[in-house]
Amino acid sequence: MRRMAVSLLLAVSLAGGASAHRLDEYLQATLIGVSRDSTDVEIHLTPGVAILPIWLAVIDQDRDGRISPAEERAYLDRVVREVELRVDGVPAPLSLIESSFPTLEVLREGLGTLRLKLRAARSGHHLRFENRHLPQVSAYLVNCLEAPSDGLVVGRQVRDEAQRSISFDYSFGADTVPVSRAPGAFWLAAIVVLLLARAVVTVCRRPSAASVRR
Amino acid sequence: MLRTTLLAAVLFCGFLPAQTSSNNASKIVDSANAFLGSLDEGQRSKVLFDFKDAAQRVKWSNLPTTMVPRAGLKMGDLTAPQKKAAMSLLAVTLSKSGYEKVLAIVEGDETLKASSGGGRAMFGRDLFYISFLGKPSVKEPWMLQFGGHHLALNITMVGPAGILTPSLTAAQPAKYTVDGKTVRPLGAENDKAFALINALDEAQRKQAILNYKVADLVLGPGQDGKTIQPEGIKCSAMNPSQQAMLLDLVGEWAGIVNEPAAAVRMAELKANLPATWFAWSGPTTNGMPAYYRVQGPTLVIEYAPQPLGGDPTMHIHTIYRDPTNDYGKKSVGH
Repeated sequence: MRRMAVSLLLAVSLAGGASAHRLDEYLQATLIGVSRDSTDVEIHLTPGVAILPIWLAVIDQDRDGRISPAEERAYLDRVVREVELRVDGVPAPLSLIESSFPTLEVLREGLGTLRLKLRAARSGHHLRFENRHLPQVSAYLVNCLEAPSDGLVVGRQVRDEAQRSISFDYSFGADTVPVSRAPGAFWLAAIVVLLLARAVVTVCRRPSAASVRR
Repeated sequence: MLRTTLLAAVLFCGFLPAQTSSNNASKIVDSANAFLGSLDEGQRSKVLFDFKDAAQRVKWSNLPTTMVPRAGLKMGDLTAPQKKAAMSLLAVTLSKSGYEKVLAIVEGDETLKASSGGGRAMFGRDLFYISFLGKPSVKEPWMLQFGGHHLALNITMVGPAGILTPSLTAAQPAKYTVDGKTVRPLGAENDKAFALINALDEAQRKQAILNYKVADLVLGPGQDGKTIQPEGIKCSAMNPSQQAMLLDLVGEWAGIVNEPAAAVRMAELKANLPATWFAWSGPTTNGMPAYYRVQGPTLVIEYAPQPLGGDPTMHIHTIYRDPTNDYGKKSVGH
């Protein structure tokens, strides 16, 4: 940890005072797109030049000063492991479906942004997302995208102060939510139906006032 | 000397006659053609792009041009008459206040260059670029781009309409002096927003103020075509005076473009005001760094102080978008 702090201080001092880009933070910006049958999570990761030594220490496993395709893949897998999506309270595994990794030269300029697109084949009525990747050096943004053409309605988005996590309710209109993908709603509906059925049976079995009088 | 010239230009700008809607498009086209006519063949081939050139259309950034290269012609490579023609084009395309804002942002970058030791090749007024997509015309659509570090103007001209979205204004330093005069390129954007948040009552502020930090622009460069869920307080929950303050704040972006085009845009934004949201993150005392966002059916504005440089109030990024009509897509279909 001390070595990391020294690296950070050294990098900040080398970077100079007036530059044009975020220097000493790892900006992790996430946009969440929900659709009727899946959930997309797009993450843009932009390491400031001052945290590059820390970042490289995480990625460059063999310490050869380069990032090999295997190291890229291992890092992307780590990011995927360190974010969590839950739909209707149930973990929704995210798969990496697209990614782009900038060159080390571009990253050294403070310009590199890693782009990941993840997808979970689940949708529902309540979503929670949390990012646990490199919290010591990161600044986070997380938002849900609009999708008016899908009739998406999103309730209040609740985040922690650092925007590492977000949760919100959503729907696509009461009659169009796929019940099979919304277990909470399914069980609620099932309970209501059972209660109604019981009430009907109770009413039917109750002797009428006339029969009592007889 | 250069600074005095710039100030003179700003002052001269104040004496420009008010533009009228009837001949405004012609004036802009004439001015664009005057600039293009001042160039040699080689320069013209560099500055003109096809209107459908999607790569050039989105080639803008908040970053210095040495980091994210822009295409077109660099102001530092133009002769004095060519530079004057380029600035005249900007003056007629923008409103008086919009032109002043642009000059103040450019001059701020020159100040940044000087404060960085003068030798920094990544800052300064010479590193701003001008480019055209399509040929200037009163009938056919075309686009004027002007930008560099902390500035990206993307103005799509469709007949008399001038569409300024998406555009980026930013400032570092956000306050500097020229010949003893204090310049704050985005000072009104700051002060009007603080006035508005403080004009809200406690219950309204509770709705408007987000309980989380916003470290940067959410829909900045590279985020074309995306819209996030609105948050904060809806304008329909504001009183008429507060709504007027919000509209006035929005005018700091919508009013950059020339007056006739800005009037059309402001009318649209006013009509959409009840469905427009205002969100705030940070302290409410003017002078402190705070992020805010104004979002409506045809509008996204973000104002984000940046930690880089030590004092976030001295380094501001803003973005101005119309999710339904960025780059004039409603009219030209791209």
